[in-house]
Amino acid sequence: MYKFAHLADCHIGAQKYPELKELEMNAFKKCMDRCMVEKVDFIVISGDLFHSNLPNMGAVKEAVEKMKEVRDQGIPIYLNYGSHDYSPNETSIIDLLNSAGLIQKIVEGEVKDEKLKLKFFQDPATGAKLCGISARKMGLESSYYDALDRESLQNEPGFKIFVFHSAITDFKPEFLAEMDSIPLSLFPRGFNYYAGGHVHLHSEHHPEGYGSLTYPGPLFGSYSKDMEISARGEERGFYLVNFQDEVKEIEFIPLPVCKYEYMYQDAYGKNAIQVQNDLMDRFEKIDVEKKVVLLKIRGELSGGKTSNIDSRTIKDILTRKGALYVGINRHGLTSREQVKVKITESDIPSIEKRLFTDRVGDLNISEAKLQKNNGIKLAVELLRTLREEQKLNEKKKDYEERMKNVAIHTLHLEEVFYEN
Amino acid sequence: MDVVGQIIGGGVARILIREKSGVKLEMGDLLLVDETGDNSLILQVTDLQYHSQVPQSMRELISGMKLEGLGASLDFMEPELRNYIVAQAKAILQVKDGHSTIPKSLPDFFNSVRHVKEDDLKFLTKPDNPLYVGDVRSGSKILDSKVYVNARDAISHHILIPATTGRGKSNLVKVMLWSLLDLGGFGILVLDPHDEYYGRNEKCLKDHPQSENLVYYSSEAPPGANSLIINLESIKPHHFSGIVSFSEAQNDAVNLAYHKYGKNWIIKILEGVSLPNVKETTLSVLIRKFNTILGIYIDDKGNFQSRNRLFSDTAGESTIKDIIRSLENGKIVVIDTSRLMGSVELLVGSIITGTIFNKYQRYKAENLLREKPVIGIVIEEAPRVLGGDVIATQGHNVYSTIAREGRKFNIGLIGITQLVSLIPKTILANMNTKIILGNEMAQERSEIMASASQDLSDDNRNIASLDKGEAIVSSIFTRFAVPIKTPFFDEFIEDYSNEEKEDKGKMAFI
Repeated sequence: MYKFAHLADCHIGAQKYPELKELEMNAFKKCMDRCMVEKVDFIVISGDLFHSNLPNMGAVKEAVEKMKEVRDQGIPIYLNYGSHDYSPNETSIIDLLNSAGLIQKIVEGEVKDEKLKLKFFQDPATGAKLCGISARKMGLESSYYDALDRESLQNEPGFKIFVFHSAITDFKPEFLAEMDSIPLSLFPRGFNYYAGGHVHLHSEHHPEGYGSLTYPGPLFGSYSKDMEISARGEERGFYLVNFQDEVKEIEFIPLPVCKYEYMYQDAYGKNAIQVQNDLMDRFEKIDVEKKVVLLKIRGELSGGKTSNIDSRTIKDILTRKGALYVGINRHGLTSREQVKVKITESDIPSIEKRLFTDRVGDLNISEAKLQKNNGIKLAVELLRTLREEQKLNEKKKDYEERMKNVAIHTLHLEEVFYEN
Repeated sequence: MDVVGQIIGGGVARILIREKSGVKLEMGDLLLVDETGDNSLILQVTDLQYHSQVPQSMRELISGMKLEGLGASLDFMEPELRNYIVAQAKAILQVKDGHSTIPKSLPDFFNSVRHVKEDDLKFLTKPDNPLYVGDVRSGSKILDSKVYVNARDAISHHILIPATTGRGKSNLVKVMLWSLLDLGGFGILVLDPHDEYYGRNEKCLKDHPQSENLVYYSSEAPPGANSLIINLESIKPHHFSGIVSFSEAQNDAVNLAYHKYGKNWIIKILEGVSLPNVKETTLSVLIRKFNTILGIYIDDKGNFQSRNRLFSDTAGESTIKDIIRSLENGKIVVIDTSRLMGSVELLVGSIITGTIFNKYQRYKAENLLREKPVIGIVIEEAPRVLGGDVIATQGHNVYSTIAREGRKFNIGLIGITQLVSLIPKTILANMNTKIILGNEMAQERSEIMASASQDLSDDNRNIASLDKGEAIVSSIFTRFAVPIKTPFFDEFIEDYSNEEKEDKGKMAFI
């Protein structure tokens, strides 16, 4: 009997706060340690090992050291690009580690007569065959699925794993309905295991005609929404899969790295002082020692400004009580006294998307690529890429050049700016 | 002028025209009377009759002699003068200086009439949001003059397509949907019980150049299509209203289960939970009903099962939201219901339609409705949900509610039926565009005529004689009931097939 581990969405380098950075790295190290303890034959990472294609080098260093340990144990790591660590010109950190032989990118293929034929990679120890499709920015990988030569993949004999980093329409959670997704019908049938990434919830499916299909979700999480979901009880971890000629057993291995405290405060009908007082009363009664505290305040205040609910004071009090980290989500907090901005979303990417959606119609653009959904996707993506900060030891000029190149790639303007 | 006849009598509703010899007037022919100035009157033939100057007894005698071989060479003198055809016509439109009005006077006595030509129909301008339905038809002759209705007006005010089998209703709907894909910006939900609109095995909507605006759901999804899977959590008790009949006790149990278990109410009932003040027998009947009607049950191992693979307790969580989003983005969503029982098909439609109706009600309250596309819901065998009997026994359902109130919220029905007579007059009166295809049933014809937007009381024979693809468009948005011929879909899309496909360039795989 063989065994492999399937994880995804590690998003190493996503966190900015030191406490969260440590938890993020701990989650990855714990996972690798567990894989070594379990003596898995190989590890599959379905995209977004890193949060960006050129992540913080401190985080990379730690992750690489751990992966070296794994490799030295004779455990290969197979992976694909995720939507975050993807690079259109194959200059991602993933490619660097691939070249160094630390990991094996298993996405290779050839387009012939408008058909995409994927190449299988065979794990030498177990004979398992792996192939897959990486994610691209803005869900553009859908064109790969459209062109996929499914028949050749289906006809390949042996134990087969399909690695992907996309949401599947059929299994998309309700709250992610807005997320771009690929219909299951575009996936090749007959694989033994479908190793998914991109969806930040763990789930296991057994669609008819296909093998087992799982999403492990993130090991820790990259956005505040992920932490909120964790705080509300979602376990984070990875899958262990036993197999011979077929999948024998799938087990989800939870990897808790901290305790959470989730608090929801309904502000509707109360003034700012009442809400602040309510929160103080609640803080008295809870134990937040060494916990990540997620506080969500929503609703329309009957009086006072939203700024009267002082985040700094709240954080200070909870930190004094021993909280490891305090995250406050007040995107859904409004006040009757302030200009009404209707916000129904609860995380920054969704709010950004919503604002672009509301405004795109006001613009008079003739270029189809910039209109409606295309324009919105592009704007969201551009904003995300331009948000990247200057790295330590990176010269301002290099940073500007790097950001310019990122923007050119995001806007697909290579032909305009580059000669070849 | 190619004279085809002359006005010889009659009145406003029934103008008599003597047919010129050698001319073959047809039922439904459009004729034109040129009057003084730039003024003309368009007439439509509603009946044809033999007339003769020779007494009936004489005609019978001559006929007998010829038949019995006693006078092979016998003939009438100047037969074209003595025997002729008189057409009965009605005045349908007065055209003056390029503007059309309803006729209020008779054309000059003895005036000549001719066939209508394309140039005479210049007043038929292309409306905003032009939805193509066919070409103007004069009798069986097709004129090079396209007929459009304003899709926004017509869909939001409901469209009814009455027709018996084989008269071309699927062809008409295909042409309309194709035209809507051309237009873009209309959210159309098509419940397709014959799986004939997407084009799984033949050319159809999937072959449209803008097929990215077409979304297809099927429980047997071909590559690229979406699986039709609905998560049980998407279903709420009110979705069953008027679709599946529950007794009072069953209704109470259903509402209690929803109140107690929220989104998990169906699975809890299937698992056999007990509910306060609900008899065991009531729950057993509900479990049986869910099994027989929806095909869902809990198997011996305690796992949820769906016989038609439509419902799931793990997958399909975003299906309804995805469909609603597509509709709100102005796409056409075709749902293959060919593998579903009728009641399940209606339930699926009810879930989607109910959700979009609620959303649009909210948009109206928030003054956002103007920014949203008009939604149309194509439903076959409309009396299943709009029938008087159905509404009387099972109460109103979301479709009948939309038929009555949808207009206010920019949501309309495109109902197809063989049996108009089953639909109450109050609902028929709200369906303001009717595309009438051939119908051999007299009772159905009289119901259609009675509810048309124009006076079709003289068109009984016209409707009966409509051949495949021929129709009459009667709408509050047209000045007159326009006779049309809808082209055969395969021929209609030939022009598109010849268009050069956009070169997407070579795909690079990374």
